[in-house]
Amino acid sequence: MTGFVEIALLLAAPLLIAATGELLLERAGSIQIGLEGTMLVGAFVAFAAGRGGLPPASSLAAAALAGFLAGLLFALFAVARRADPILVGTVWNLLALGATAFAYRLAAGETGAVLEVRTLPRGLFGVPDAVLASFLAPVVLHFWLARTRAGLRLAAAGENPEALRSLGLSVVAVRSGAAAASGVLGALGGAMLILTVSPTFVEGVTAGRGFLALALVVFARWKPLALLPAALLLGGVTALQYQLQAGGFGLPYAFFIALPGLVALGALALASTRGGAPKALGSAAP
Amino acid sequence: MKARTVLAVALGTVAAATLLVLLAGASPADALAALLRGAFGSKAAAGETAARSTGLVLTAVAAVVAFRAGVLNIGLEGQFLAGAAAAAAVGPLFPDLPFAARAAVILAAPLAGALQAAPAAWLAEKRRVPPVLSTILLNLVAAAGVTWLVRGPLRDPAGDYPQSRALSDAVLLAPLVPGARATAAVLAALVLAALAAFLLSRTPLGLALRAVGEAPRAARAAGLPDVRLRSGAFLASGALAGLGGGLEVLALTGRLYDPFTAGVGYSGIAAALLGGMTPLGGAASGVLFAALGAGSSALQRDAGVPSALASIVPALAVLGLLLAQGGRTAEGSR
Repeated sequence: MTGFVEIALLLAAPLLIAATGELLLERAGSIQIGLEGTMLVGAFVAFAAGRGGLPPASSLAAAALAGFLAGLLFALFAVARRADPILVGTVWNLLALGATAFAYRLAAGETGAVLEVRTLPRGLFGVPDAVLASFLAPVVLHFWLARTRAGLRLAAAGENPEALRSLGLSVVAVRSGAAAASGVLGALGGAMLILTVSPTFVEGVTAGRGFLALALVVFARWKPLALLPAALLLGGVTALQYQLQAGGFGLPYAFFIALPGLVALGALALASTRGGAPKALGSAAP
Repeated sequence: MKARTVLAVALGTVAAATLLVLLAGASPADALAALLRGAFGSKAAAGETAARSTGLVLTAVAAVVAFRAGVLNIGLEGQFLAGAAAAAAVGPLFPDLPFAARAAVILAAPLAGALQAAPAAWLAEKRRVPPVLSTILLNLVAAAGVTWLVRGPLRDPAGDYPQSRALSDAVLLAPLVPGARATAAVLAALVLAALAAFLLSRTPLGLALRAVGEAPRAARAAGLPDVRLRSGAFLASGALAGLGGGLEVLALTGRLYDPFTAGVGYSGIAAALLGGMTPLGGAASGVLFAALGAGSSALQRDAGVPSALASIVPALAVLGLLLAQGGRTAEGSR
């Protein structure tokens, strides 16, 4: 079953890294429900860079840069201009889906041929280093949020932005930084998908993983470390589905895909107030 | 909204679209001609635009009803799916009784949409869970539900692909004009948009809904039943989106498959935004999006511009509006 573990890790990593980025942004008090779109942009840029002849590691870096810009763009609308982040995110998804499909068509032309890119070289445990690093990301975020001055300030922007401002610090700056970092991680998630398990691009290749990652953040109750078991469970279930492709497996698979949503809804229903969400989640910066 | 803002956003969108057409190596005049031909150039083209309008108009009106009452219902996609699934479940029950089958679909679909929204409405009022979070989770659950239904209980045993049993031809809505895909469903959607417009702007109920959306604390202090108004708007919004899903099955697809939508629930929100959060504006934007979608295949075939242009342009227009309008009040819609 080594193949199984490997595939489970490869499938968990994009979800995990994207969810870590989203959690970071939400802890800062903003929310990007267009994570699916950011992942899609990362996937496309990694694909385009790979087709352009860049080695896989550089493709990953190119996707990170695109994600950084996407995060800043989001911050311009939803943080600096204070437009409702929910609306910005909704439209961002539509724009990213359209723009990547448009660009893919221009890049690939009319051919129906499957264009592949080189995948990341395998390292320890048979998975690329970037995949292993994804599993460290929530751990790093956990300690950064709890132990560093910058981390505490970021969490303050999400819990009590007025207090942060009264210290003379800019909530807009903190949240914009979080948006840029979150964009990087989201795009890396999409890129990792292309550079490991599905080395070609099709329209909407992320197939709802961005929404699944949003659900994981609620499921984890905004605690980074809780993302780890949740993402591993989902990766494992999806890997199992790959191995048992034969029909008749529809029910359990659909159930497990719905599971984080159902459990997160249950947790929200049972929790006393908002299930542990940052107090100023989605608010305009003071 | 200021006329200058509208003009600036429109000009910016047209400029961006022109740039994209040039990037694709086509002439803007050819592209515009192909787009218009594909959307309105023939009976079949206009019928396609009208047919595509149904779901977009209904989800746009659904978004307006919820958002104006201060409920950010991002779950239209899931509510649309719930309605489509209900239609696919009850539609084939009476293959020889078209009236009964259609009535069952038209009742079951909005009911399913409202039921899909109900947990989020409950969580919002009883547990202070932001509808944004709960409806995103419910969208995932609905999509997984469709995946399961078309492979499990609703699966057509005769089909090679996982899809539901088809509604009989006698049950499916007939085209209004032979040779075009449009049915009475689009008329129903437009009538509902007009009704919603009347209700929101001309009735005491509409005034109360808007008051709760714009100033929840003041509305509550004035003695309005804010919880009931918000929950009612949430369920009505779900019902409208569910009806959209049901009519999609009854008028166009005849069955459920997976994935069933390409994001019509999210496009409906964009249409509502572009329409200034009014039912008629949202409906008009929905028809515009549908025309872009219908015209986009001619755009790709005849002018060589990727059809995805049709989904970029509306998104750019809405982003332009959001950028121009900017900030929210302290007691905004949340």
